[in-house]
Amino acid sequence: MFGRYRGSFRRECGDILVEAESVDGLLTYRRRCEGQTFERILVSKTGEVVINPVEPVNLPKDITDFLQIEFSPMIIEPGASRTVYLKFPIEIGVLVECARDIEVVDVFAPDSQKYTLYGSPTNGVITRYYESTVYPEVPLVEPFREGVMEFSIQNAYREWVEVSRVVFESTDMKIYYGDFVAATAKMKILTKTMAETDFVDAPLRPGMVKSVELYTARKIPAIDRGYLMEWGLS
Amino acid sequence: MTFNATEILEIPVGVGDITIGNLLYFVIILTLGVIVAKIVSINVRRVLSERLPKNERELLTKLINYGIIIWAFVIALPQLNFDLSGLLVAGGIVGLVIGFASQSVVSNLVSGLFLMFEHPIKIGDNINVGDVSGSVEDIRILSTVVKTYDGIYVRIPNETVFTSNITNYVHNAARRFEYQIGIRYEDDADAAIRIAKEVIATHPFALKSPAPSVFVDNLGDNSVNLTAYIWAPARNWWDVRTDLLLKIKQALEENGIEIPFPQRTVWFADGLEVKGRFAGERGKEE
Repeated sequence: MFGRYRGSFRRECGDILVEAESVDGLLTYRRRCEGQTFERILVSKTGEVVINPVEPVNLPKDITDFLQIEFSPMIIEPGASRTVYLKFPIEIGVLVECARDIEVVDVFAPDSQKYTLYGSPTNGVITRYYESTVYPEVPLVEPFREGVMEFSIQNAYREWVEVSRVVFESTDMKIYYGDFVAATAKMKILTKTMAETDFVDAPLRPGMVKSVELYTARKIPAIDRGYLMEWGLS
Repeated sequence: MTFNATEILEIPVGVGDITIGNLLYFVIILTLGVIVAKIVSINVRRVLSERLPKNERELLTKLINYGIIIWAFVIALPQLNFDLSGLLVAGGIVGLVIGFASQSVVSNLVSGLFLMFEHPIKIGDNINVGDVSGSVEDIRILSTVVKTYDGIYVRIPNETVFTSNITNYVHNAARRFEYQIGIRYEDDADAAIRIAKEVIATHPFALKSPAPSVFVDNLGDNSVNLTAYIWAPARNWWDVRTDLLLKIKQALEENGIEIPFPQRTVWFADGLEVKGRFAGERGKEE
């Protein structure tokens, strides 16, 4: 389903149908997913429809830029580092692109979403919430529902630290797709309650294609500076 | 009769050495300043429209707008033979005069500046000031504009806003709301709590943490009263509140748990004789 399309096309995967159909000379984009439908008329001479996984913080409404993944607790030795694999939720973005501009047409996902608060109600942030098991190797994932995150964790603190969640700022997110959807991220533990997190702009497997991020499409300038988790790691 | 424009410009207006020309230049410079301020602020607003939150954008635009106008005013002042070095000396006296003459205006102005820098409210926030509730439409130099939930425009002087208790419903990231749910005495309260929690858990914006809480709060006259505490993002809490209650009601009803009507059991000391019933029975016997 992911890729670039010109003119009419039709892709159907399970419950998801995405198509652009020419009716009476009008090109109509249509999507059906989980019983919900969405339709737009596309007026374009040179434009391409781009379908790719995007940052999972847009549904059912865009209310935050943060993604929190909760996983089985890990206790990490001072100075130790390890790479594990997590699953993360994905949303599917449909964009139209021409030489001069790119615009978001539709964002959908076959799964339901859940949000949570990281930190206190006064100072915390609302985050998209997702639970994952910790995998030593790349796990099998459900296509169009979840992706694989290569997650490198390093304990730069002088004491043992327990970690069971990670919070990312999605504006930094770099998503790649191929046989499956993937992202690479890192976490550096600074104290028992603080850590820096960031995404790495690299494909998990050679040949993976980089997604067009919604932040790029929406022309929102963002500085890739990572995120400082200040309100606890577990 | 010849008409010489230069001579007209040199005609004194009667205040010191100021001529019509000076006055005209003063007005032209000030007008140019206002026009430039307008053009610059419109462009700044346009350029920053997608890069800065509305509140910061409006604040910056206003600062630039008033900055340019004040700058033009200072440049134009010498046309009125106004010695800027004397401004410092005169400033104190003028300040006193202005202070007394326009006490409330200055008070509103200063309150407005404090509001802009202290940030107790932002454009778009849902607030309550005094007896006005609504969303903030604009924070101006002298007043704050609130659109009530009925869509009515209310202008509140900044002094009033600044000295009143301000309730900002969306200042924090999350807020809590509650439901009171009454069930019949014969219904299973544990099942009702479980069902309510399951419904809450399926709502995307009913926050996972702080966790929702559903419990038997009190035993009422007609019902066992459950209370549900639910946290939601502050900017979406009303949508969640209106959405969830119906879903909880439907889920309870689907599981045979009903919300009871008020009822009262009446006991008669000597029993209750229903005359119509005996008459009916007699009729049947006959």
